Amino acid sequence: MTNIGFVLGMEALGAGLALLAGIGPGAGEGYIGGKAVEAIARQPEASGAITRTMLLGDVIAETSTVYAFVFALLCMFAHPFANFLADANL
Amino acid sequence: MSYLPMLSEFSVEGPIVVADFGKFMGIPIRLTESITVQWLIILIFGVLFFVLGRNLEVKPTTRRQVIAEMIVGTLNGMVNDTMGPKYFRYQPYIGALLMFSLGLSISVYLGMLPPTADISVIATWGVLTFMLTNYNRFKSGGLLRGAKSFAKPIFLLPSNLISEISNPMSQTFRHYGNILAGLIIGGLIFWALQMAIKIPILIPVPLSLYFDLFQGFLQAYVFATLTMVYISMADTSPEAEEA
Repeated sequence: MTNIGFVLGMEALGAGLALLAGIGPGAGEGYIGGKAVEAIARQPEASGAITRTMLLGDVIAETSTVYAFVFALLCMFAHPFANFLADANL
Repeated sequence: MSYLPMLSEFSVEGPIVVADFGKFMGIPIRLTESITVQWLIILIFGVLFFVLGRNLEVKPTTRRQVIAEMIVGTLNGMVNDTMGPKYFRYQPYIGALLMFSLGLSISVYLGMLPPTADISVIATWGVLTFMLTNYNRFKSGGLLRGAKSFAKPIFLLPSNLISEISNPMSQTFRHYGNILAGLIIGGLIFWALQMAIKIPILIPVPLSLYFDLFQGFLQAYVFATLTMVYISMADTSPEAEEA
């Protein structure tokens, strides 16, 4: 196995592992959604404000997933480690 | 059987460089697709809102004026609810940010790469929010109170400084990452359908509605709301800190 092949494979593996960060926000957003349903059931007249707040909370909870996604994109398409290897002529 | 040539047909590229002006002090100066699309949207919005805001009357008689009043009224209500009457003067900035972000995200339906999928565009807005936040911090309470607000309590000073830097970063990555993720997922599915059945129809439509339209709306709303929250939370005046 060549060095560059190993690094490329490891980058792909890293991208896949980074997307494990989707687990936490997924559970968190489900919790937010469930709580919003409870709140709307208790107070249907406030559903507009509850939905707005819920979406805001969802998007903020999503931030860590998006960080992981940006990192995975870097690994998949920008190849930082493979470029480092090529620059260092290893 | 090799998968490599097939996989390499799908690639992710940044915005097209329309014109290259060489380098200025080591920084490359380029006119990119993002800038041109932004100017196009500015032109469209300029003409649209100029037409909407012409010949206004006290009692709306035209449909045009009702639409204009609805837009302005919604934005007024948003800023008033989130920031309070004290910061109502930020309404034009917040409104412009929201409408512009929305317009840029929707520009994907004109067949262009939306500038909101370009990190440089969103990072500019993030830096603007950062500057406005800290301007308000030192303007509302003076230099000393503003500097003191970072060290409250004193042992949290380093983490407060880091969180101040990470605010614009998280805002930037959230907006740009979501739009770009939508583009890439849509592109992958389109490409896979093209490979499988040669006619990529129907399935990309609801995906595009969710990722381009709904996420475009949501991210614009969230970016504007967070900007409002950051600015009004940086109020260091004595009466605001007592409350």
